[in-house]
Amino acid sequence: MAYEISIFLENKIGHFKRVTTVLKENKINIRSIFINDTANGWGILNLLVDQPEKAYEVLSEKSISVALREVIALEMKDETGGLDDLLLQVAQAGVNFNNAAGRIIEATGRAILILDVPDYEETIEKLKKQGLKILDDSTVYGRQNESN
Amino acid sequence: MKREYWQEELEVLHRNELKKLQVERLQATLGHAGRSPFYNKVFQQKNIKADNIKDVEQIWDLPFTTKQDLRENFPYGFLTMPKKEIVRLHSSSGTTGNPTVVFHNRHDLDSWANLVARSLFIAGVRDTDVFQNICGYGLFTGGLGFQYGIEKLGALSIPAGAGNSLRQIKLMRDYGTTAAHAIPSYLGRLYEVFEAEGLDPKKDTQLRIFVIGAEPHTDEQRRRIEEMYGVKAYNSFGLTEMNGPGVAFECEYQDGMHIWEDAYLVEIVNPDTLEPVPDGDYGELVITTLDRQAMPLIRYRTRDITRIIPDRCKCGRTHRRIDRITGRSDDMFIIKGCNVFPMQIEGILLKIPEVGSDYMITLETMNGNDEMVVEVEVKKDWFRGDIRRLESLTRSITAQIRDEVLVKPAVKLVEAGSLPKPEGKAVRVIDLRNGGIKN
Repeated sequence: MAYEISIFLENKIGHFKRVTTVLKENKINIRSIFINDTANGWGILNLLVDQPEKAYEVLSEKSISVALREVIALEMKDETGGLDDLLLQVAQAGVNFNNAAGRIIEATGRAILILDVPDYEETIEKLKKQGLKILDDSTVYGRQNESN
Repeated sequence: MKREYWQEELEVLHRNELKKLQVERLQATLGHAGRSPFYNKVFQQKNIKADNIKDVEQIWDLPFTTKQDLRENFPYGFLTMPKKEIVRLHSSSGTTGNPTVVFHNRHDLDSWANLVARSLFIAGVRDTDVFQNICGYGLFTGGLGFQYGIEKLGALSIPAGAGNSLRQIKLMRDYGTTAAHAIPSYLGRLYEVFEAEGLDPKKDTQLRIFVIGAEPHTDEQRRRIEEMYGVKAYNSFGLTEMNGPGVAFECEYQDGMHIWEDAYLVEIVNPDTLEPVPDGDYGELVITTLDRQAMPLIRYRTRDITRIIPDRCKCGRTHRRIDRITGRSDDMFIIKGCNVFPMQIEGILLKIPEVGSDYMITLETMNGNDEMVVEVEVKKDWFRGDIRRLESLTRSITAQIRDEVLVKPAVKLVEAGSLPKPEGKAVRVIDLRNGGIKN
């Protein structure tokens, strides 16, 4: 099971950097970024990092509003139409999602699609029935590349 | 040209005679008041007897009455007579805590209508005028208060209510409105609608008099309104506890508001020491009703800061004038004509764990509109990273505040820890409005 961290951020100069500085100081690597913006001067920053639990702890210590959220990671081919093929299957499984983020696993020809869904358990069942492989967390967080 | 009066004998009454009238009416008021549960107790404790009052200065020996007293004795603790005799109540807004409520019998309503008629008369309104009352009817005193006054005066009243600018303009043009009452900030907005419709109120209406008030404004704002509409605009003062409109009004000289001293005994006190200050010095306005039976109030602390203008007015009226309200001795503020206490907003936020009780209210003018921005913090422990939840939370807080204070706020979520923490007397309200009055 994989987690992303979600952070409440005001749309003000330097606020995003406050988060990245804390992560850098704690040697936490960001794998992907997705910002959900609103018209009200704030947004939610969704980060996929290599150590989500630790990131949650160190950001919490700085009194930053942060949440750990379960996400679903699916594998796709890193080639033209790879995402389209995967989304066809997700649609056939009858799964709708709120947010998505993607990233490439280096030198493997594979990529990962991260889905943030309203109903985690139910969605996992649907995707499994569809024959899709849910990736384990170390693949998602990219821990095998930590030495890079 | 001979000056016209609504009640000449009262308006130019020699001050010695006026003081005698005040003493008589103060005695009668204390007599009524002693029949209410609240004052009965106070008078017994302090051994106060109406007959002992021989001079208005003796008012200084009587205790003050505060908004807190009104709230603690809600709803009927100040009532001097059976409910059978009462014909109307007016009340402040509020869904949390006790509202401020004032009861009137028939005499009180007649007396009030007469004061409003007198006030409109000195601003030049006559029975030949068509008077459009652009303000909310209902529990708010500005609607019915002006309505009865306009009718008493004999002008043709248009009970237009608040808002709906296109309809306001249509009413003005259909019926040839010559006089109107509205809050000053609304008149700026209404003018924009005139412009958008390709109309010039100077040419396309017959307006000649505006009565403005109920929210702080500067003399410059008044002059701007006069220029935009080609009218004379008169400042007015009133508060629910003292009936509503008709407490103090400007005459043709537009130089301070005559406070009707046959109906209201006026004091200006130092808000810290509560000692009286001399005429001309600023302090808190304290008023005793002199012509109210159902719910008289003795030495009521209005919390409004003003001064008595020491000289006699050129109009010849002997009733003294108060200056523009320059601020408050508490933290209440007025926006869009509504009185707002930060505590009301705090009370709502306290019940919402997701945001906690730290908040900041900023009053600002955006595109000619006054806005109340309420900033609240997203509390760490309740944050789930769900954007929809935060958006619905924002909507819910907006609705709750609007229901409480009758003004729709712009609610802004901010990061935890970014608002100042209450240390001693925290500044919770920042007023950046054009001509805004700082506390």
